[in-house]
This record gives sequence, structure tokens and C-alpha cells, in this order.
Amino acid sequence: MRCEHPPGSGDACVTAILDVRDLTKVYGDTTALDNVTLSVEEGALFGLLGPNGSGKTTMIKSLTGQVRPSGGSATVLGRDVVADPVGVRSQVGIIPEQETPPSFLTSEEYLHLVGAIRKIPDIEEQMTWWFEYLEFGEKRDVLCKDLSRGTRQKLMFAQAFLHRPVLALIDEPLINFDPIMQEKVKDFLADYVKKGNTIFISTHILEIAEEICSGFAVLHKGKLLSTGRVADVTEGGMHLGDYFLSLVRAGGHV
Amino acid sequence: MFELFLAMMKEEWRVHSTMFGSLSFALYPVLIFAIACMGSFLIPLIRPLLPFGDLALVTHALFLLLGLMVGAFGLLINEVMERRFGQASTLAYAARTLPLSERVIFLNFVVKDTVYYFVLWVLPFVAGFALAAPFAGIPLATPALLLLTLSLSFLTGLSMAFFLSMVYARSKVLLAAVSVLLAGAIFTAHLGGVSLFLPLTLFRAFSPVTLAAACAVVLILAALSIALLRPEAAARAKHHREMLVPLARRLSPLPYPALAAKDCIDLLRSGSAVGQTLFSFLIPLGVIWFCLSLLDPFLPASGILLLFAALTGVVASTMYIWLTMFDSFGPYACLPLGVADVMKSKVCSFAVLQLLPAAFIALVAVCAGEAAHLLPALVLCLSVSFYGLAVTVYLTGLSPNVLLYDPRVLVLYLLALGAPLVALIVLSFMNPWYATASVVLVGVGWWVVQKGFVKWEGREVVGY
Repeated sequence: MRCEHPPGSGDACVTAILDVRDLTKVYGDTTALDNVTLSVEEGALFGLLGPNGSGKTTMIKSLTGQVRPSGGSATVLGRDVVADPVGVRSQVGIIPEQETPPSFLTSEEYLHLVGAIRKIPDIEEQMTWWFEYLEFGEKRDVLCKDLSRGTRQKLMFAQAFLHRPVLALIDEPLINFDPIMQEKVKDFLADYVKKGNTIFISTHILEIAEEICSGFAVLHKGKLLSTGRVADVTEGGMHLGDYFLSLVRAGGHV
Repeated sequence: MFELFLAMMKEEWRVHSTMFGSLSFALYPVLIFAIACMGSFLIPLIRPLLPFGDLALVTHALFLLLGLMVGAFGLLINEVMERRFGQASTLAYAARTLPLSERVIFLNFVVKDTVYYFVLWVLPFVAGFALAAPFAGIPLATPALLLLTLSLSFLTGLSMAFFLSMVYARSKVLLAAVSVLLAGAIFTAHLGGVSLFLPLTLFRAFSPVTLAAACAVVLILAALSIALLRPEAAARAKHHREMLVPLARRLSPLPYPALAAKDCIDLLRSGSAVGQTLFSFLIPLGVIWFCLSLLDPFLPASGILLLFAALTGVVASTMYIWLTMFDSFGPYACLPLGVADVMKSKVCSFAVLQLLPAAFIALVAVCAGEAAHLLPALVLCLSVSFYGLAVTVYLTGLSPNVLLYDPRVLVLYLLALGAPLVALIVLSFMNPWYATASVVLVGVGWWVVQKGFVKWEGREVVGY
């Protein structure tokens, strides 16, 4: 595992839980990721920011072994994502942007399936806690295909944290939640990192990123425009949103 | 209205070309044309074995089945698309976002299916037949009549599927009552020497009255479907008892019991367990048995049983499609599973499903008075099925229901399966016990399936 602090952070070396070097992903004529180099410290709540189509989802897919990089390398918890994608997925929690729990299983059955695959010993206890915490216990016997988007996201949220991973990668974590649930989830995420875990989220909702993230990176058209600490941006009275827009407009020639 | 029809036509094309590739899908009618043309050239040769009337029955029955399948698939397309591509929706389900009623949208959907599949299936088939007809000594008027009657067969199946689906949406009891009534009517008519399959009657003896009656059946079924449509039925969310844990416990000897349990639940709750068994197993095998029975006088002793066992093996190998139809790698992508793990679990579930063809062949052997040759028939059936599975896994990975429609993959599949199948059938005709040599296919299949796991593990699979 490399030990390099993100550019501009001013920090001494800390443990990098996620390390990306010159990562490139090309789909046909489109370069989704263009030589991205990024490092995330242990215990961070890190936000990958970018407009639609900037490469955020491709980055998460690359980090979880879903897509094979066209170039460069990435390690997650010290595991190479190309050489050992299943090993990476066994250690982390993942919430995809398009929530896709299996259609014909109920919420409860899906969590049991996850528990069986991840070999979670206290699955019943965990499940009960999540049904109560995210307030969807009354939907435990409803088929996933009949759930609303918000409930599906609750279910995907629960499956990602059932095994209490040290790192969770979340694509647009709050997009389908109502304001009350958003607050609850934000509190959960903040509390989760306080316990020494790491959260890596991708989002284009900058208010949320400013509120909960400690570190950030801005991605635009596959290129990394900036990375650093949220506090460094906001200390001068600037909002992360303004900083982001100025970067994107300058870097993306918008 | 017309704009919606055009948009639905475009959408149907894009669904297929996205799944199969534009060129591959565009070649599909060409493939049907070529098969129909080449098959028609053989008519003079097979006429002594299979009378023209029986051939007409089989062809019309196939187009009726095709209509039933297209109708059923059309009603499930949103589900299939969502499983395959994540969140997806089709115009047929867009009533809430368009200023059109559900009935208008459904009417467009019916007309779209009719036109689209006429161009895709019926027209190329009849064109191929028409090209070969003069060389096969078939009157020139026959292809024109066939175009009409096959279209009507297809439409009868399509409208029947829509009608039964709408009845099912209203009440399962009503569906059972309608099914019993239909079966009773068909049986009574059969006893009275009358065929209710009017397109075939029309083909055998054209008359304006039969034509009007055949058209009326289609129109009445379609009109009833539209009248019975109840949009709000889709909004109901049912409650289900937990089945995964007890099922996984029962399947614990398998390497991936939880995944095998999920497959079983998918089959049960999607209706595939009954629907696929009926439409993809029993009915095709019934048609095959009927066709083979025509060849009985020309086959050696026990030949028909062993030939049937081999073909049952081929049909049984398609059970892998049942297991992957509503599944994609997406839900597994956030779990510590590789593509090969999911494929291995599907192979295990497939092995469990093989109880069905095994029991079926045993029943057929006993009923046909061929119990003495049950063992070679069983070995042949299951070996062919496993080898067919291995070829399917290697060629299509987790997407057989998509990739087997790719003409290039289909040709490879047919070649890989056809050659050993012919050799085994010839061997079993020489001596029924030679059919046991088919166990060699299990070894070959094992090697192919392992190669398949490696091949698809190395590919980038679209997940979420």
C-alpha cells in the first residue's frame, strides 16, 4: 500500500486505503477515465464529484472490479482490483447507482442471500437492525420488483453494510431518499467514519458533499481536475459548489 | 396514434438490435428465408415419409406457438429489460407519462407486434418457401395461401396470449374456467371431426366463410383483451413468505445452495416453472413426438424412443435459458462473486432441473412399452442435455436468451450439437445399447463447460 497524501492536503503521510495510479478507461471512442491518480486515506469520508457523464460511475466500477481499466492500476485495501476483484468485493460494501436487487426475492430473502454469500453469522440481528433503522420492516416480505425506488435504495444500503465493511463505495448515496431519510443516512455515514471506517461516495449534489465529506476530488470528462480537503476550500468562505463550478468551467471550457 | 405506432416499431427494433447487435439481428430474417428455402427444396424427398398435410399441420402449429411466445414475451418485456439493462422502461408502460389511455397504448402495441413479427418471421418464411415452390412441384398459388394462413396462425397465437394474460390479470379462477372451456371445446370439436384451428382448415380448403371465421377469432380475442385490460392491476404489491432459507437448507449439498435456492424462487414466482415446463418443454416435445411417430414405420426397433430421448436432451439443455432469463450479473456485482461462480451455481440448478426430463423419458419409455431400453434412453437424454448445456455456457455465458438469437452463435451452437447428435442417433439405431456411448459427451461437456467458465470470467460483464 502506498503512503502518499493527496496534492494540496498538506498532510504528512497517512495510510492510503484506496490508491489509484494513472487509471484510464476507454469505451470505444469515449475516454471515461483519463490518467486519473487519486489516493484516499483511511477514515475519510471522500466525495468524488463531477457532472453527469464525468466518469464517476466508471471510477467506482473500476475500483470494484466491475470494469477492467484500459491502463494504470488501482488497489483497494491493498488488493489489486484487476487481479483480485472478488477479494476486493469481499472486503468492501458497494451501493450501485442503479439499484438492482433481484426481482423475485423479497427484501428479507435478498438480505438472507447476501448474508449467505458473505457468510455473516449474525445475519438475523443485522437484518432486524437495518429494517428498523431505515424504517422499511413492513416491506420485508414484498418482492424487490414491487418496491419503490426509495425502498430499493434502503435495501441496497442495508446489503452494503450488513458485513460492517471497513470501506464502502457508494454511487449517489442519497438520490432516492426523502429529506428525513437523507438526514438519517448522513448521520449514519458520519458516525461510521468516526469509528475508523472509510466511505467513498460519488455525487453531483455538492451541498451534501460539502456537508459530510472530509476529502474530495473533482472529475470532469474523465480527467481529475482537483483533489484536496473540503475544509481547505470552505475555510476561506467559499462554497464547494462555487469552487466546483469554477473548476469545471475552466477545466472543461464550459 | 400513428406516431406512437412508429415509435413502438423503432423501440422494438432497438431492443432487439441492442440485445443482438444491429447486423446480427438484421440477418435474422435472411436466416429464416434461407432455412425455409432449403427446407422447401427437400419437400419432394421427405414427402414419402411426411405427407404434405402433416407438414402443413406442423408449420401452422409452429407459427401458432410463435404467436403465443411473442405475446407472452411482449407482456414481460419490461421485466426482462430491467433485469438485463438495469432500470428500463418501454412505451407500452408509458401511460402515466403520455396523454394516452392504457387501451390506446395497448392497441398500438398489438398492431406493432402484428406488423413487426409479420415482417420478421412470416414474410421471410413464406418468401423462402415461394422461391423453392416451383422446383418442388408445388402450385404457385400455395405460397400466397400460406402467407395468409400462417399470418392468421401467428395472429391467433398472439391474440390468444394477450387474451389469456388479461383473463389471468382479472382472476386465476376465471383463467382456469376459460382454459377448461377452451380445452372442452377443442376436444368436443375433435370428436365431431371438426378442427377449431381455422387457419389450417383454411389452408386445406380455402373458403370465404372459413376466412371470415378465422379473422373473427383473431379480432374477437384482441377486442376482448383490450376490453379486459385493467391498468391498475399492475400496481398491487403482494406479500410472500420467506422461502430462501428453508430452500437453501434443502439444497445444502450443492456448492452454492443460496444461489440455487434463488433460482428456484425465480422460477416459481416468475411463473416460469409452470409456463416454461408447458411451453418450452412439454408442448415442443409433444410436437416432436407427433412428428417422430410419422417416421415410426421407417425406424428400427426402439429407434423412435432413442431418437426422442436424444431430442428431449436437446430441449432439456435449454433449461439453462430458464435459469438465466430473469437474471443478470447486476445483482451479484456488489457481492464477492465472480461471473464463473454465478455460472457454476446455474449449472448446479440445471442439474436439479434434469429430474424433469429424466422422469419424462422414464414415463414415455414405460407408456411406449419400451421399459427394457429405459437405461440407454436415459443416459442418451441426460448426456446430450449436459453436453448441450456445456456448449450453451461456452458460447453464451450468462446470456443464452440473448446470444442464441445471434445467427453466428446459433450456427456454432447447431454445428457443435448437431455432429455428435447425428453420430449417436446412428449408433443407437444400430443397437439401442450403443446409446450408452453418449457418456463420452459428459466428459467432453465437462471440459467445454470449464473452458466456458474461464472464458466468461475473463470478459467484462456489464453489471450495474
